[in-house]
Amino acid sequence: MPSLREAQRAFTAAALFGDTAAIAQIGIVAGALGAAARIAVYRNNVLGNYRKALAATYPVVRRLVGVPFFDAAIDAFVRAHPSTHGDVNGYGGELARFLAAYPPASALVYLSDVARLEWAVDQAGTAADAAPLDLGALAAVPVDAFGELRFVLHPSARIVVSPYPMLRIWQVNQPDFMGDDGVDLAEGGDSLLVWRTADGIAIERLAAGEHAFLAALARNARLTVAAERAAAAEASFDLPGVLKRRVAAQAIVAFRAPPAA
Amino acid sequence: MPTIVSLPTVAGIGLRSPHVAQVSRDRPAIGWLEVHSENYFVDGGPALAALDAIRSDYPISLHGVGLSLGSADAIDTGHLARLKRLADRIAPAAISEHLCWGRIDGRHLNDLLPLPFTDEALALCCDRIDSVQSALQSTLLVENVSAYLRFTADAMTEWDFVAAVARRSGCKLLFDVNNIYVNAINHGFDPLAYLAAIPGDAVAEIHLAGFDATGPCLIDTHGARVAPPVWALYRAAIERFGPKPTLIEWDTDLPALEVLLDEARMAQTILEEADAVAA
Repeated sequence: MPSLREAQRAFTAAALFGDTAAIAQIGIVAGALGAAARIAVYRNNVLGNYRKALAATYPVVRRLVGVPFFDAAIDAFVRAHPSTHGDVNGYGGELARFLAAYPPASALVYLSDVARLEWAVDQAGTAADAAPLDLGALAAVPVDAFGELRFVLHPSARIVVSPYPMLRIWQVNQPDFMGDDGVDLAEGGDSLLVWRTADGIAIERLAAGEHAFLAALARNARLTVAAERAAAAEASFDLPGVLKRRVAAQAIVAFRAPPAA
Repeated sequence: MPTIVSLPTVAGIGLRSPHVAQVSRDRPAIGWLEVHSENYFVDGGPALAALDAIRSDYPISLHGVGLSLGSADAIDTGHLARLKRLADRIAPAAISEHLCWGRIDGRHLNDLLPLPFTDEALALCCDRIDSVQSALQSTLLVENVSAYLRFTADAMTEWDFVAAVARRSGCKLLFDVNNIYVNAINHGFDPLAYLAAIPGDAVAEIHLAGFDATGPCLIDTHGARVAPPVWALYRAAIERFGPKPTLIEWDTDLPALEVLLDEARMAQTILEEADAVAA
């Protein structure tokens, strides 16, 4: 008789990896159905759960490749990347990396980046909440101390960069999209800011200066440093305008002053 | 062990995300709501905010699917900590999990997988339930699961195993009548023998759901109305145990909220008939 651990190991080998030799090690009462058919029920359930869960996280990837391709890719992904969460909602963040090296998808050069964008959208939905920036406290900061402030992005905010037109690809693959769904890959790349607002998940294209600015803030840079990076990337970068707009949109939600001397 | 099982002895429904907006807006008349704990293992966002708002109007039961009480691996302490954090926030009327396994050698399978009914599995489950109840400072409700296979290692019946888990660990039972019916058909036993082995005072909640009969055996899909023989078994369970908080569960091919409320009314009628007989 196998130990519980041996039986659970053999079950996993048989149900997930299709290892038929492992079926005998589980010790299954065959009955009328037979042991292999019983394991097949579990294989369908387990893989079906993952296909369904990841279809909800990656609807655009699924739409781009079609359901049979998606399901086969997910089965391969699940075998290669063990779920380390008892919560299936937390699973699937490595799909972008997996797809980048998945030979059947090699012709779809942008697929991995789409997965990265969808994961950012998914994660933004459940990140911590944050109150809007305290404008009164900001107004009380002396002007000469402004450069030392470290502005904080909303916990949901993520910057997704791709050499492909990600926003256009994402938009034309939304279920309610109407019109010309053609995408010209030569259109060039995108830097996108993904964050959660009171109205839902927002995705906006960032110009070079704003990208450099927000990326610096995400790395906890001082305002002076972030503004220098932005100006270096884009001569016409409008610091007050961008700061005002991003605070109003709650992409920037706080600031930290240096400790008092 | 502090008991926080305070579900009202009426019918409730499983609350799934497509119905949350309607429940938040209309506040339908239903005794209580059950959610999957893991769906709220989050730091923030609209789903958690909606649950925070809904819980002021309904008792909430937290029903877990990922703790893997019967795994040969140790309990996932991170998972348990997230459950504790959620329970502290929501102050649920009950916390439940499944008598199954879903994790081995660190890999989760994210499914409710069957246990052999052996002394080894029994001792392990009781030990795990004990540590979960200690960590949560709450009684845990433990649910019997559907199974599509049985093990040659089985040393006892499923009902003896389930009754022994309750007796030895001091947990309560979440008695899933549909799962018992599915197993009775799949494995050829009399579901009334199962009922007869379960002590009524250990049962703190009942689940009802629909199964799928189009495959090689009955599959517990939670994707249909409760089947007539499951309603009959439910009546028998209520006759034996007395009225118990009863939940309509629906996960696959989720219909309109009204369908769930309609099923809950059927359960409520059966509960009230039992009350009338007892009075």
